[in-house]
Amino acid sequence: MRRLSSLAWRTLGARKVRSFLSMAGIALGVAVLFASLSAGATMDAAVEKAAADEMGHTDLRVQALEESGLSRDTVNVIAGAAGVSVAAPALERKTYLSARANQTPSAKLPPPVTVLGIDPVKEPQLHDMPLASGRLLTAGDVSSALITQTLGDQEGLRIGDSISLNGTVAAGPQAYQIVGIVIGDGPLPEAEGRLVFIPLGSAQTLFGTTGVTRVDLGVASGVSVDELIGQLDVSIKTEPYLLSRTEDLAASLRAEMADFRSALLLVAAVVLFAGAFLIFNTMSMTVAERTRDVGLLRAAGTTRSQVMGLVLLQALALGLIGSAAGVVLGVALAALTLSWIGSSGPIALAAPAVSAGSVAMALLVGVALTIAASLEPAWRAGRIPPVEALRRGPSGTSAGAARLRWLVVVFGVLAVAALAVWPQADSTDSAGAGPLAAGASSPTGGPLVVYGLLLVAVLLLPRLLGPLLRIAGLPFRIFRNEERLARSSLSRDRSRTALTVGALVVALAMVVALGTAAQDVRKIGSSWLAETIPGSELLTSIRPVSTTDPIRDQLAATPGVKSLSPIGLFGVPYVFTSQKDGKPEKSVVRQEAAAIVGHDYLVDGRLDFLAGDPASALGALDSGGAVIVPKSLADQAGIGLGDSMQFATGPSLMQLRVVGIVAHSIPAEAQEAILVGWSDALTQFGVTGADFYAVRYVAGQESTARTALDSEAASYALEPDDLDRVSGTVGDALDRVFKLLDALALIAVFVAGLGMFNTFSMSVLERVREIGVLRATGMTSRQVWGMVVIEAGVLGIIGAVVGAVVGLIVGALLVSWSSWGFGLVFDPPWLSIGLAVCFGVLISITASVYPAGLASRGSIVRALQHE
Amino acid sequence: MRRGEFVALMGPSGSGKSTLLQLLGGLDRPTGGDVILDGEVVSHLSDTDATRLRREKTGFVFQFFNLIPLLDVYENVALPFTIAGEDPRRGDAAARIRDVLEILDLVGREHNRPDQLSAGEQQRVALARALVGRPAILLADEPTGNLDYATGGEILDELWRSCDQRGQTIVLVTHDARAAAYADRVLVVGDGRIRDEIELGRRTTHEAGPLIARLAQLGL
Repeated sequence: MRRLSSLAWRTLGARKVRSFLSMAGIALGVAVLFASLSAGATMDAAVEKAAADEMGHTDLRVQALEESGLSRDTVNVIAGAAGVSVAAPALERKTYLSARANQTPSAKLPPPVTVLGIDPVKEPQLHDMPLASGRLLTAGDVSSALITQTLGDQEGLRIGDSISLNGTVAAGPQAYQIVGIVIGDGPLPEAEGRLVFIPLGSAQTLFGTTGVTRVDLGVASGVSVDELIGQLDVSIKTEPYLLSRTEDLAASLRAEMADFRSALLLVAAVVLFAGAFLIFNTMSMTVAERTRDVGLLRAAGTTRSQVMGLVLLQALALGLIGSAAGVVLGVALAALTLSWIGSSGPIALAAPAVSAGSVAMALLVGVALTIAASLEPAWRAGRIPPVEALRRGPSGTSAGAARLRWLVVVFGVLAVAALAVWPQADSTDSAGAGPLAAGASSPTGGPLVVYGLLLVAVLLLPRLLGPLLRIAGLPFRIFRNEERLARSSLSRDRSRTALTVGALVVALAMVVALGTAAQDVRKIGSSWLAETIPGSELLTSIRPVSTTDPIRDQLAATPGVKSLSPIGLFGVPYVFTSQKDGKPEKSVVRQEAAAIVGHDYLVDGRLDFLAGDPASALGALDSGGAVIVPKSLADQAGIGLGDSMQFATGPSLMQLRVVGIVAHSIPAEAQEAILVGWSDALTQFGVTGADFYAVRYVAGQESTARTALDSEAASYALEPDDLDRVSGTVGDALDRVFKLLDALALIAVFVAGLGMFNTFSMSVLERVREIGVLRATGMTSRQVWGMVVIEAGVLGIIGAVVGAVVGLIVGALLVSWSSWGFGLVFDPPWLSIGLAVCFGVLISITASVYPAGLASRGSIVRALQHE
Repeated sequence: MRRGEFVALMGPSGSGKSTLLQLLGGLDRPTGGDVILDGEVVSHLSDTDATRLRREKTGFVFQFFNLIPLLDVYENVALPFTIAGEDPRRGDAAARIRDVLEILDLVGREHNRPDQLSAGEQQRVALARALVGRPAILLADEPTGNLDYATGGEILDELWRSCDQRGQTIVLVTHDARAAAYADRVLVVGDGRIRDEIELGRRTTHEAGPLIARLAQLGL
C-alpha cells in the first residue's frame, strides 16, 4: 500500500487545478465552521465573564418583580432565612449627572448613569470591587460615591471631585464626593461603564423609595442553594420575586445570542455541504478518469480494498490540507465576524478564541466530511471489473441512485457534527424563561429540519431534471442547436448534474432564506411599532415618571400637540397552568406587561383587535380589572376572550378578565406585553410611573410643535425619539447581523461555483472526441463555446430558481421559528430573490467560461484521436 | 481527384494518410502546399470558413463511428442540418434524411440510441450522417477498421453504391487491400508523399487479388 500511495499523490498532482479547487472548497467550509465555533466560544467566554462580574460570589439573587422593589420587611425575611450567610441588598436606578458649574448646557441629553445603591459592609463580601485608586464605601458614609474608571475618564472625574446626581423632584439633585475609582467598566454590562456606587440609604432617599431591586445572597456552609430556594419559597409570601444564580444569568445572556450562533452554524453547515458536493464530484471525476488505470491495477493483482484505499488516501490528503487551511482562514474570518458584531452589543467581545477543541473539531469535521463524500466514489472504484475497465477507457457513467446515496452519509456526518457543537438551550433558566418566554431555546430540531429539507430538494433534483432542463432552456431557444446539445449533455449524467446544481441550490436557498427572514424582521420592526404606539414620537424617561407628576399636563399643553399618552412597562407574575401527566400544574412565570390609557388608543385607532370589541375593551382597561392579550400569548397559553388571567402579586391571586385579543402588542424586552389599565398597574402591580409618552401631533403642525416639545421634554430629562428612527435603529442592528450571515452564505455560493467549474471542466474533458465530431461536422468554435456556456446558463437558472423556491420555504420556516415572538408575516423578498437568481446564473456562467474556452479552442484532429 | 471518383489512400502507419485526409477536410492546415477543392484553395481558410467548408462540402466517416451518444439515430443523422440551423423535421432536410435512412437500411431504427445498435449499424448511421448533406467529397478514415469481415463488406458496398449510383466523390483511408479494392484508384503514401498510384478503374466486382499482388510488389 505504501508503494501504491505514490500513485495517489501523482493522481492528485496530475490535476492540480482540480485538487486545488477541491481543497479550497473544503477550506472555505471549514473556515466558516471554525469561525462559528471560535466566535461562539468567544461569546460564551464574554458571557461567562459578564455573568461572573455581575454576580461575583453570590450564590443566589432575589430580584424584585415589581417596580417598587422588595420592601424592607421582605429584605429582612430574606436575610433571616435559614441558610443565608450574607444578604446584600441593592437598589439600581438610572439617572443623569447634574450639569457642573463649568459645563455648557447642551440641548441634547447626555448618556445616563446607572446608580447602584449598596450596603457598604455586605456588598464587598459578595462582590469584588477592585479599585484603581481611593477606597471602598464604609458603613458611616452618606454622601460618598465610587465611580468606574470608564465614567471617570469620560467625565474627567477624579478622587475628591464632587458629582451631583439627579433624583426625584422631591429629593432634587444630591452631591456626592468621589472616594474611590473601580477598575474598568464595573460589574454591570448594561451600564456600559457609566456606573456610580453610593450607600443604599442615600440611594433610597435620592430616588424616593424604601425598596431594593435585588438582594444577593451567600449561602452558609452545609446548606445547598436548592434548600435555600425551598426556604425562601416558604418565607416570602407577600411580594413577587425572581430567583437566579450565576448560571441562570449566563444562560439568559447566552439565550440572547443563541439565535445568532445557531444561524452561524447553520450557514457553516450549508457551506460545508456545498464543499462536500465539490469533493464528491472531484473524487468521482478522478475515478472516472482513472478507470483504465484502475483496471490495470486490478488486472495486476491489486485488491478492491487497496483500490478503495487509494481513493480514500487522496480524500484524506485533500481533507487534511483543506481543513488545515480552513482553520487558518477561519481565525481571520472569526476576527472579522467578531469585529462586525462586536459593536452592537453591551458585552465586550475579545479576540477570537482559538482553542485546541475548536481546532480539533473543525479538522475532524472537515476530514470526516471529505472522507464521507469520497466513500461512494471509492467504493465504485473498487467495483470496477479489470476487463471492463481495460475495454472501456474513461467513463463518466454511474448509477444515479447509488451516487446519491452518499448524500445521506454526508448528511449524517454533518448532523452528528451539528449536534456536537450546537448551542444548547439551558433548562435551568428559571428567570423569565418559563413555558411562555420567547427566545428561550435554540432547538437543534429546527435547523436539522431546514438542513433535511435542503437534502430532500437535492435528492429530488434528478427526478425533476427533465422538465427543469426544458423550462430552463427556454431563454436559450434562440440558439436552438447549442441549447439542444447543452440540454442533452446535462441529461447525460443526471446524478452528477443534480449534485452540481444541488450545491448551488443549497447555497442560494440559504441566501434567499436569510433575505426572507431579514425582510420580515425589518418590516415587522416598523409596522409593529406603528400598530401599537398611539403617536409618531416617543418621549422616553430613564426611570418611571409618576402619573401624578404635572410633566404630562405641561407637555400636553405645548401648541400643536394633540395627545400625550403615558405607557409603562413592567413584569408581572403570571400564574400559568400547564398539563403535566394529564394533570393541570400551575407555575408562576414572568410575563411582560404594559400600562396604557385605553381612551388614547381608542381615539387614535391603534391595535388590531382579533377578538373583543375595541371600544368596550379599551374602556374596560381604563375602568380596571381587565387585560388585553396579544395573539402570540393567547395562542401559546390557550387564553380566550372572557377568560381570567391570574397573577401572584400577593398572598392571594389577583385576577384580570381578558377583554380583547390583539394581533400585535407593545414590544417589551423579550416578548409582547399584555396590556392593562393604569389603575390596575398602579394599585395591583406596584407600577410607579410611565416609562415613555407616545406623542400625537395636530396634523400640519408637527414640525413646529416637535421642536418646542423636544426642547421642553429635555428640561424634564425625557429623551425624544422619532418612531421611524426607533424602528430604523432596530432594523439597522438586525441588518448588520443579516448582512454578516448573507456574506457567509455567499461563501457557499462561491464554493458551489468552484464545483461547477470542476464539473464543466470534466464535462468538456469527457466530450473531447464528441466535440471534435461536432467541429468536424460543421460546428463553429463559437457554437461550441456557446454550447458549454448555455449548459452553464441552464444549470444556473435551475439552481437559482429551485434555490429561490427552496429558500422561500426555508425562509418561511425560519420566520415561523424566529424567537422574536412578534408573529411575523411571511412576505417574499423579491429583491433578494432577484439578486440570488442573477448571482446564481452569473456564477454558473463565470465558472463555465474557462472550460468553454478549452472546448472551443482545442484541435479537431487531436480531439478525434482522443481516447 | 475527379468529381465522382473513388480514391483509396494506403500506406504504412505514420505515412501521412490520415493527415492528408484531415487536410482535405479542412480539419488541419498544411505547413506547405495547398489544398484545392472545387476550384477553391481551402488550405488556409479562417476557422469560420473552414467550418463552413466542412459543413457544406465534406462528410466524414471515422473508424470508431463517433456518434453522439445522447442523440438517437435520427438526430445523429440530422446533425449537419441541426448545426446549420435548419429544422431537420421539415422540408428538404426531412426528405433527405428519410432517403438516406432508407438507402442505409436504418428505417425503424430512428429512435434508437447508439448504444442500442450493433457496430455495423452504428457505422451505417455515421455513413448516413456523412452523406445526408450531399457533400462534394466524403472522407472515410478506416471506416471498416473496427468492424468484422461481413459488416465491413456491407459498409464498403454502401460506399461504392453511393459513388457509383449517386456520383459521390470518396476518399478512403485504409490498411485493408480488400477495402481499397472498391476504389477506382489507389494512392500509396509513404513519408508524407504519394509513392505510387494504382489505377483499378470502376468495376462491379471488387476482387482484391490483383491489388494485393501489386501492393506486394511495393513491399506493402
